[in-house]
Amino acid sequence: MQTTAVYDSLHPLEINLLAAFGQSGDKPVSDSSLQELSQLEPSQVSMALGWLQAKNLVRIDSEVVTAWVELTEVGRRYLADGSPPEWIIRTCRQGAHEGRSFTVKDLQGLNAFPPTELSRAIGLLKKEGAIALGAGGRIEVTETLSPTVEKLYALLHELKKDRRELLSFSPDQQALLRQYAVKRGSAQEPFRIEERIQREYIPTGTGKAVAKRCHAGSTEEVSQLTPDMLKDGSWRSKRFRKYTITLRPPRVAPGRRHPYRDFLDLVKHKLVGMGFQEMRGPLVETEFWDMDALYMPQFHPARAIHDVYFVKTPTHAKAVAEPFLSQVAAAHETGGTTGSSGWGYRYDTERARRLILRSQGTAVSARTLASNPLIPGKYFSMARCFRYDQVDATHATDFFQIEGIVLGEEINFRTLLGLLTIFAKEMAQAQESKFFPAYFPFTEPSVELHVRHPKLGWMELGGAGLFRPEVTQPLGVTVPVIAWGLGLDRMAMVALGIHDIRELFSVDLEKIRTLRGRFA
Amino acid sequence: MPTISFFQKDLEELLGRTAPPEQLESWLPLVKGELKDVTQATGEIRVELQDSNRPDLWSVEGIARQIRIKLQESPLAYPFLHARTKPKRRILVAEGLDQVRPYVAACTATGYTVTEESLAQLIQVQEKLADLYGHKRKTVSVGLYRLPRIHFPVTYGLVKPTEARFTPLGFSEKLTLQEILTVHPKGMEYGSILAGQPLLPLLWDTEGQILSFPPIINSQDIGQVHAGDSDLLVEVTGTDMRMVLLTLNIFATNLADRGAVIEPIEVQYPYDTGWGKSIRTPCDISAVQKIPLKAIESALGLPIDAELVQQTLRAYGYEIKASRHTLAVRLPHYRSDLMHPVDVAEDVAISRGYDSFVPVMPAQFTVGSLSALEMMSDYIREHMVGQGFQEIFSNILLSHEELVERMRLPEDEQVVEVDNVMSQSFSCLRSWILPSLLRVETASPRAFYPHRLFEIGEVAIPDPSHELGSRTTIQLGIVIAHPHANFSEVHTCLDMLMFYLVKDYELEPLNHDSFLNGRAGTILCQGQPVGVIGELHPEVLENWGISVPVSVFELDVDWLCNDSP
Repeated sequence: MQTTAVYDSLHPLEINLLAAFGQSGDKPVSDSSLQELSQLEPSQVSMALGWLQAKNLVRIDSEVVTAWVELTEVGRRYLADGSPPEWIIRTCRQGAHEGRSFTVKDLQGLNAFPPTELSRAIGLLKKEGAIALGAGGRIEVTETLSPTVEKLYALLHELKKDRRELLSFSPDQQALLRQYAVKRGSAQEPFRIEERIQREYIPTGTGKAVAKRCHAGSTEEVSQLTPDMLKDGSWRSKRFRKYTITLRPPRVAPGRRHPYRDFLDLVKHKLVGMGFQEMRGPLVETEFWDMDALYMPQFHPARAIHDVYFVKTPTHAKAVAEPFLSQVAAAHETGGTTGSSGWGYRYDTERARRLILRSQGTAVSARTLASNPLIPGKYFSMARCFRYDQVDATHATDFFQIEGIVLGEEINFRTLLGLLTIFAKEMAQAQESKFFPAYFPFTEPSVELHVRHPKLGWMELGGAGLFRPEVTQPLGVTVPVIAWGLGLDRMAMVALGIHDIRELFSVDLEKIRTLRGRFA
Repeated sequence: MPTISFFQKDLEELLGRTAPPEQLESWLPLVKGELKDVTQATGEIRVELQDSNRPDLWSVEGIARQIRIKLQESPLAYPFLHARTKPKRRILVAEGLDQVRPYVAACTATGYTVTEESLAQLIQVQEKLADLYGHKRKTVSVGLYRLPRIHFPVTYGLVKPTEARFTPLGFSEKLTLQEILTVHPKGMEYGSILAGQPLLPLLWDTEGQILSFPPIINSQDIGQVHAGDSDLLVEVTGTDMRMVLLTLNIFATNLADRGAVIEPIEVQYPYDTGWGKSIRTPCDISAVQKIPLKAIESALGLPIDAELVQQTLRAYGYEIKASRHTLAVRLPHYRSDLMHPVDVAEDVAISRGYDSFVPVMPAQFTVGSLSALEMMSDYIREHMVGQGFQEIFSNILLSHEELVERMRLPEDEQVVEVDNVMSQSFSCLRSWILPSLLRVETASPRAFYPHRLFEIGEVAIPDPSHELGSRTTIQLGIVIAHPHANFSEVHTCLDMLMFYLVKDYELEPLNHDSFLNGRAGTILCQGQPVGVIGELHPEVLENWGISVPVSVFELDVDWLCNDSP
């Protein structure tokens, strides 16, 4: 029972390895033999051995340390050009033939070997009597041969092809090899001695029991069910590897709507649900529709060069449609037929044609008023607007205004408050709302709507009012009209967990991919 | 609109009662005010005033006044408006000012000793009125002077720029008007108001002492009021008579509310002002207006008794006589914002309190709907999401470099450009979607690949035949970016989209500098070009700092939509 549980937990590599142990009759096996028996890669063998030891199914039986000798780069150079003692004798003999002799300094001057190696070789040759120092420090080669030179020569040649076990050399040779092997503090040596540990492994008791199952024709473990297995039924004899399902899967980037636009979609659908019809307007507008038609006097402070983006070319629209231009002009100058005193200034029709980037969504409402709107009628727009503002955490270069109008005989201050109460419930799930007097150039009375959002507390949700007759009548509308605008970005930002309005229009794909939130 | 600051103690003195911030907040709807912050330690309060047509409220005196009227439920009395005696002092206006800065109004305020705090308030009102109401002093500017130093009558006249010299505020030596315009900070800031004038306005007294050079600067010795002064001259000049008179009325009323005795001054003009040639200021500036009660009722949506309206409006400062169907109303002298009966209706609502109205749900039936363009956009968006694309939502002001140069378009490529550029980065409306998507690519080399992006949104296309010089259309742009992105992949996306839009299309080889030659095409529907498709030119990628191949298409959604049955 227990062996079954253990067996089930095994990785195919482990099963393979235990089977290899089984084949060798549960005797100690070296890792190199395990490689041969299991036909696994050395890295796989060492990995599986690690796991099996951790599971206490296999243990180390013995460890043998073997020392191996091989030639270093220096050794190979000695082999080609001779070792330093050899070189000294050769150079001095050559010199003697040519009638020259050398001092130690002379030899150093030839730069064949580093000074330390040279002095060690001279010391050795002197000790063995192969050279003597004559008058003036001149080196004389004697008739005595240096045994070390001969022995080194032999060892270099024996190791020329391959490394050998240190123990395969005579004790004498071993001593010499050790003397001329790379050690701490002397890297420039012809030989390197390396100790290798060879381990033999043996299954533990449990290991042996489990190995029996592995041995006895255990089923092949597969990771993927294939069409072929289904076709030939071979899946029946397969064992499917168990997955570690608690790990997180790899990430993908699914197709996805933009989260801020998702939010605007929700608002849009709510407005349609409340009976509002969508209206649209151009990004490039005349001052007429953006401001004049909304009874903002041409000298209004918010119309200065520092508040609105003006278009470079063309600077002016071809014309503003009549009779709207004349009627709006009259409303500004004297009130016209609206019952108003007007602003009492000279209206500039040239200015009315000046092209700007739409600064407020109400421009779209003005155009709708002038195009025979339905009465009763409800309209909304989500209009991209532009303000001449420095970009910062609360100001974007362009942004959306959600605005609209309601036309009808029944419209008055109280139905305005009624509409705002619906907005409070539908847009902010607010049960409580408050109305404050407000100011907009184009509405009177004007209201600011504050609501108690279930999560955000009291907040300003929007502004609204009844369009002034100076707005509606010149555009041909004789019934009262509610104009409203909602500020919903804060709700969107809170739901998305962002604090900077620029992030609603982020260009950082990683940010866009991970931005999420529930609106509703 | 203006945010002003004042001290709770000052407000309480003006009100004659305590006014902790919570109490103040409950009154602020009366003045369309919003409490911005309260500094507990000092009692300093900041309030934003919303109504740009009510400059009388842009001061602690104005706020206190509106609250006092509400508390006592009747207008305050200002005897200086009804003084019978002829004014002791005169200002004489010289010929020619009607071409420069035509109007002046003035009064004296005596018997009230200015404190540090009231001086700060006076200066605050002076600045807010001249800046916001007076269009940075162009239409209206205000001067305050130490009365005892001035010998009447005062002349408001014209002089040559080099003719008169005086020591302006903040300076220790005398300068000519010409010099003031070039070296004095106020001269440099406001000099443009008088640009091109051969003669400049000046106020001087009968002894030849210069009071000020309106609307630029006062004189250092007569025109600087200090705490401790108790007799002042207030003067307003400007280009709009009604606004000049209103501004003086506001100042006079503010000082009267603090206890000063206001004495009118007679201003004599050589030309007509629309208000006569000889005017005594301050004065009533509003006529009685008759308003049908019905206008108020229909605006507010409830039947309302004439008597009640009368009470409500008196409690807001109106002078009013109500008959059964008609109201005869006159605004107090410090207001000038009654253009239409709806303005009175709002004041009734504010005076009553907005919370006292019971909301009524609009009942008339209307059908809600999205525009055809929006529905088409939504359909395409859903489809592109299904194809595995991430939607992008961009700001649509870009730089000329992004729209044209980086795309290898000819330099004279037309785009809608802003005239008064604030930042080159936001100087043009996008004319196609693609540059918006490439901005994302540039910013996102570390987001794992593949990148499959789309955006559907507005672009502005220059069009000389259009009334506005450009057309706003909806376009779809898509970008595929990864180490093996190519034409075939993006072509498949287009093909699938067109299949589900039930549109037949053809591709026609296109030479376009943004694309690799031989790997770009025009998308044709019924022989009409409706978009482009291709592999971006490596130089375009270099220009944007993008290090993987990018294939794209862009499609005119307006066309697809209009073409639909």
